[in-house]
Amino acid sequence: MDYLLTSLSAAIGLITQLNQEVLSTVGISLYTSLTAILLASVLGVPAGIALGLKQFTGRRLVLTLLNTLMSLPSVVIGLLLFGMLSRQGPLGGWELLYTPLAMIIGQTVLATPIVANYTLSVINGADNRIMSTAMTLGAGSLQSGWQLLKETRFGIMAAVIAGFGRVIGEVGVAMMLGGNIRGFTRTMTTAIALETSKGEFAFGLALGIVLMTIVLLINLFLNLLQHR
Amino acid sequence: MKPVFSLQNIQLGRGNNFNLWIERLEVRDGVLYSLTGPNGAGKSTLLWLLAMLRRPESGAIYFGDTLVHGTRSELKKLRQQITLVEQAPYLFDDTVARNIAFGLRLRGIQGEERNNRISQALEDVGLGGFEKRKARELSGGEVRRVALARALALRPKVLLLDEPTANIDEASLQIVEALLTSLPQQGMTIIFSTHDLDQPERLGAEVIRMRDGKLEAATYPASPRQHVATAEKITWPRPLKISESSYLWL
Repeated sequence: MDYLLTSLSAAIGLITQLNQEVLSTVGISLYTSLTAILLASVLGVPAGIALGLKQFTGRRLVLTLLNTLMSLPSVVIGLLLFGMLSRQGPLGGWELLYTPLAMIIGQTVLATPIVANYTLSVINGADNRIMSTAMTLGAGSLQSGWQLLKETRFGIMAAVIAGFGRVIGEVGVAMMLGGNIRGFTRTMTTAIALETSKGEFAFGLALGIVLMTIVLLINLFLNLLQHR
Repeated sequence: MKPVFSLQNIQLGRGNNFNLWIERLEVRDGVLYSLTGPNGAGKSTLLWLLAMLRRPESGAIYFGDTLVHGTRSELKKLRQQITLVEQAPYLFDDTVARNIAFGLRLRGIQGEERNNRISQALEDVGLGGFEKRKARELSGGEVRRVALARALALRPKVLLLDEPTANIDEASLQIVEALLTSLPQQGMTIIFSTHDLDQPERLGAEVIRMRDGKLEAATYPASPRQHVATAEKITWPRPLKISESSYLWL
């Protein structure tokens, strides 16, 4: 018990003293995750809306694929992208492996199906009079789609936040594509895994507290949105 | 008086076992029409068709002299002359003024003109001063009147109303009925559906009677015009039936 309390005290000390290593790791995590969720939103939200509104051949297949991608372990996505980005892979020439950009790509692949799927659920559950109302007031298809987006904004924000929650807490992609390089691609999750295995429990705990606080804040915000 | 709508050999499916089948229908400019018939007769479907929110599977619709079969931008242009107010209208999650401003903005009406139209439309439905109220905080009756004001502000050529006087209080009924009789005098064509069989006569409306998705023979207005030949040449894409929203003519 003493060990835990001492570690907790040391962890809180690292956070309150704004330890540079902790700050740098948190910064890298936030940079990659926020960029990835931004890209995933740009791709996933329109995809979810289109899937919710349009009927086309192969739609079921796309939905099945989305559901499968949603439940894929991040380490498998990391593995597949590793194959693409490694020196011998088809995109090896881009020299992206073990860079923050590779992590962003991986996390975007991880988050896009989540954002698209949640958006699809929001659109399916949206009041079906929104589009017809916008159209009878003179809006075109795109303008009506935009109005639908505005009316379902809280649900869409929840979809984006759910995607962010997934990428900020994942290990597989960050580890396999980032390589856990100190001060460059080391994120909170990969640092926790590494530092704890090195016996630096307090440092891991400090990052764990920061990560849990971020996830808690995200969920509080999500809860707030869902009750609007 | 020239027709604002001419429908010929229109067929439209709804689900698996319902069809709207209108051999011919002409709607004249500046006339008040009532659409009557039992539940399930196809009144709302016909209003959606006239609002160009649903496309027929076969047949031809002329709006004035324009064959309605165009590209999205043509459809948008035509739709901006017609407004449908549904029986349970949807107000956007915003203020009353912004709800009414929505269609005005799409038509490029701005500034003072926009504000005047919003105020005037709200006055017309007896809700003067409601501009800043939030749509979500209105009562059911107020929602319907704001939806009517939102349509009136656009000054459409054709106003389609799905049961505008069903389940409303006496004061609202008088306001709506007064509008129904006065607007055609300003050149607006109005088609409203109703279950009140005395209402058409009370308002001096022409009657379009429907049953089982068809117009009753006695109410066929006027004679068929010259477009019948064209109607047979048009091939409509198959309607989309999987989800509710895909019924929309996107």
